[in-house]
Amino acid sequence: MSLAVAAAARPRAAKRERLARQRRRFLVWCLAPTLGVLMAVTLLPILYLVATSFTPLDPTNPATAWNFSRPLLNYRLMLSDGRFGNSLWVQAKLSFWTVGLQMLIGIGFALLLNLRSGMLKALRTLFLVPMVLPPIVVGIIWKVLYTPDISPAFWAFKALGWKVATPITSATWALPSIILADTWEWFPLTMLMVLAALQTVPEEILDAARVDGARIWQATLYVVLPYVRGTLMVAGLFRLIDSIKAFPLIYLLTDGGPGSVTEVTNYYAFEQAFNFSYVGYASAITVVLVTVSLALSWLIVRLTGWGADE
Amino acid sequence: MQRLSVTRRRMLAGVAGGAALLPAPAVLGKATSKYAGTTIRGAAFSLPFHQYLSTYFPEFEKETGIKVAFDIEAFPIYNQRMDLELSTGGSSYDVIIVTFIYQGKWIGAGWVTDLDEFTKDPNVTPASWDPVDFVPGVEASMRDAKGHTYAYGVEAGAMLLYAGRADLIDRAGLALPTTMDEVLKVCAAVHGKAGVAAWTADKLHHWNWPPYLEASGGRVFRDAPKDLMPLLDTPPAVASAAWYAGLLKTYGPPGVLSFTDDQALHSQLSGRANMRTNSITWGLPLAKDPSSTVAKTVRYGMVPGGPAGDFPGVACHGFGIPKGSKKKGAAWEFIKWALSKEMLLRVVKEHGYPSVCRRSVIESEVFKETLTLNGQDVAALYLKVLDQLGDGAYMRYRTVPVFPAVGDKINRAIDAIATGQQTAPVAMKEAEAQAIEAIRMGGYKIGR
Amino acid sequence: MRANKAILYALAIGLSLLVLAPFLWLVRMSFQTNAQIFAFPPHLWFRPTGANYAALWEGEFTRSFMNSAVTSTASTVLAMLLGVPAAYALARMRRRSDALSLWIVASRLAPPTAFAIPYFLAYRHLGLLDTRIGLIIIYLTFDLSLVVWLMRPFFETAPRALEEAAWIDGAGFWQALVRVVLPSAAPGLAATAILCFVFSWNDFFFALILTRTRAMTAPVAVVNFMNYVGWQWGRIAAGGVMVMLPVLVFSLAVRRFLVSGLTAGAVKG
Repeated sequence: MSLAVAAAARPRAAKRERLARQRRRFLVWCLAPTLGVLMAVTLLPILYLVATSFTPLDPTNPATAWNFSRPLLNYRLMLSDGRFGNSLWVQAKLSFWTVGLQMLIGIGFALLLNLRSGMLKALRTLFLVPMVLPPIVVGIIWKVLYTPDISPAFWAFKALGWKVATPITSATWALPSIILADTWEWFPLTMLMVLAALQTVPEEILDAARVDGARIWQATLYVVLPYVRGTLMVAGLFRLIDSIKAFPLIYLLTDGGPGSVTEVTNYYAFEQAFNFSYVGYASAITVVLVTVSLALSWLIVRLTGWGADE
Repeated sequence: MQRLSVTRRRMLAGVAGGAALLPAPAVLGKATSKYAGTTIRGAAFSLPFHQYLSTYFPEFEKETGIKVAFDIEAFPIYNQRMDLELSTGGSSYDVIIVTFIYQGKWIGAGWVTDLDEFTKDPNVTPASWDPVDFVPGVEASMRDAKGHTYAYGVEAGAMLLYAGRADLIDRAGLALPTTMDEVLKVCAAVHGKAGVAAWTADKLHHWNWPPYLEASGGRVFRDAPKDLMPLLDTPPAVASAAWYAGLLKTYGPPGVLSFTDDQALHSQLSGRANMRTNSITWGLPLAKDPSSTVAKTVRYGMVPGGPAGDFPGVACHGFGIPKGSKKKGAAWEFIKWALSKEMLLRVVKEHGYPSVCRRSVIESEVFKETLTLNGQDVAALYLKVLDQLGDGAYMRYRTVPVFPAVGDKINRAIDAIATGQQTAPVAMKEAEAQAIEAIRMGGYKIGR
Repeated sequence: MRANKAILYALAIGLSLLVLAPFLWLVRMSFQTNAQIFAFPPHLWFRPTGANYAALWEGEFTRSFMNSAVTSTASTVLAMLLGVPAAYALARMRRRSDALSLWIVASRLAPPTAFAIPYFLAYRHLGLLDTRIGLIIIYLTFDLSLVVWLMRPFFETAPRALEEAAWIDGAGFWQALVRVVLPSAAPGLAATAILCFVFSWNDFFFALILTRTRAMTAPVAVVNFMNYVGWQWGRIAAGGVMVMLPVLVFSLAVRRFLVSGLTAGAVKG
């Protein structure tokens, strides 16, 4: 390389560098306001929540604000609170059944609808309806179905001469009735996720399975499902996190009852904070919930490779 | 949501049918004009009195120049939200309903205004307004320890027993039950007859059950408001809880445990359920509502008692002024107008309103005529309940600040018993433990 | 084979009817009088009435409907203005941070009480309870992260050659973004905006806690109504239908993006 060429290249390199620097600054400017706002609307409140969880705050009693004299009181209370323990158990049951059923039904329907056909495509749209309804409307729909005087299901049972209990006021059936409504609302999501994944399954590996003499169900079980395993995991995790947030259905259908049969942890925290104004205790319960959902979110980030360098 | 009530209001207004308008109350002098041009904002839960009263708002606006705008919400939502609103010291509202179960809390916390400053000032309130005319038992919970008054009674929800299908009870050769034992006997005899369930109730067990708890010799707290030790697992508490839960389970219509007030009312109006004990407000439509199918067969009685006596519940909701209000003077003008003798008489006469808190009105001929329901003198029953109430001592459990949290434990326990999740002793023992915890969390010292 | 296909179709149609039935029942109920709703056995045919809707429309329901529309629209616009450049920046930056990703995903997925409690406490002092602004701000907690996660993949797949060509032509970075990059991502922008709107519209929890009456949104109004006249099912149903109508139309319009929207972009549908 001659000196003259090197001298000419230097300004060009400098210019490119300047451009890159400007560009970096521009990108930072694009990002900074959003991060600032996001910090203000999400991080600060969470810090406030954690701080509150160390106080016995009851807004109706000013002396309890910013009173850190016994910081761990709420957390200790939680350990001995039978209703809190019960709410975790109810939560576990609700999550297990809703996620399990939604996965099974979602996968089943997806396999059924995974054919290239105009009509099935149109039908797919119909299946979307439950999950795009506002949750509160889903609640109203099921409230109607579970109310004996006006429910077509009850009329059918009556016509058949069967006597059935009102599910939402029965200790045995209250939780299953929530599970049923929630499954109805959300199985379309898992169905769609699985459908999307199914379309990425290459024909070749199916052909290969067929050549090896596998039947359809064998090919599905041993070839297709393992291939879309990743999606299934993510779908399950999403439903799991969402099941922790369950609120409108419980609020409308059972109010956590009868007794505490359908009182999940999130609902219990809501009652403590906004019905009885034990905000400090409710904050502590919520901190536990946030920790759990953070852990699950982290799993999702890892599984989808969002965070990792490409 | 106010306008949504139009149909019902119209329905009930029809009851009054063509009664002549009385002259406007004399209380409204020229002195009030100094507030002309302001708008006061009110909040109430959906309460019949408010629906009737709002038909006269134009008159008030014309006479005082004060505009009135009310927000109406469902009872549970109203309470929850007003509790939060007051705790923030907000100035959103100038007139509110001080709900019975929150009176101890809101008055104790200083969230509502001392109304004595208005009633004691003859320039603001003429002597003829007569604050002592309000029934003392009703007002008791709206006063503080020093005897200052923070709200004036709008509704004395006095509990009665009402049977929509009293004819079925007659046919069984029985009478309206007067004791808890008789309740079971009558229910057993009429349940399922003509497709009618024997008993109905709304899901607010912590309001419906305590009369039976107290009749059985039990109490919610050892000595409210001084000693808040809950007594939910005592033998009378366990026995009466089992009795009440069994009543709902055995003799209630399907889904009774989830009924709101409106649903319980409707189950009686449509003739699907027979008896209910609750505030008189919910019993009146059985005789007077055009959609009632039981107007010819309804009968009223006292809430059944027990070995310890009769303790019919009385819930007294009143009008008050939030501490944060910036228009207290105008707000008082409104309360003074709404609860004057003249206005209450009109509301009784023209709308058949049953739950008045002024003695002079209750004892009037107009009231007696209005409360003659299906040929029965219900006004006498109402007065009897208010007399029973006396100074309101047996209702004091409801007005202590921790009651909302304790009431929730009661609701859940009765639910658990009625649905067979727990036996009465187990459920009530648990409720007791949780109530103690909730009270301690509220910062109260209690001990055995 | 053809017989198989016929069975499959019949099965699919049957199942979709079964899934839709509860929803259709509610729609049907909204056109019935109370007497028809309580009739046993139910009448198969009935003369539909618009009375339930008329009663709602003349009541204060319209005000809550407006509140819903205003708060959902405003938070969507804000989230788009802030979130789109950020998504672009993230797509063009070389380094990724795990912590940042987790933060954004978690704020989308956090249990609602986690925000409701601190916001409620703060709003008491800031005077933001029962205001539309208060709702708009809290809706940003999920709308903003939604925008970032939905738009980032769009920008990642968009060719960089165009914007680089624009720079060489002397356009500023902003100009290149607005004139070149955004138009090429228009479908994604539309879908993202609609999903933001839908999520804000559907919110029940925050509005329940942070509003009283003036800023009350339509979902809360319907529930309030339900507690208030518990047996006027026709009107409750009509309220439900009105709340779901805009959302139903919008979401079916962007059904292709629904899954990625609901899973914050984890899966493309």
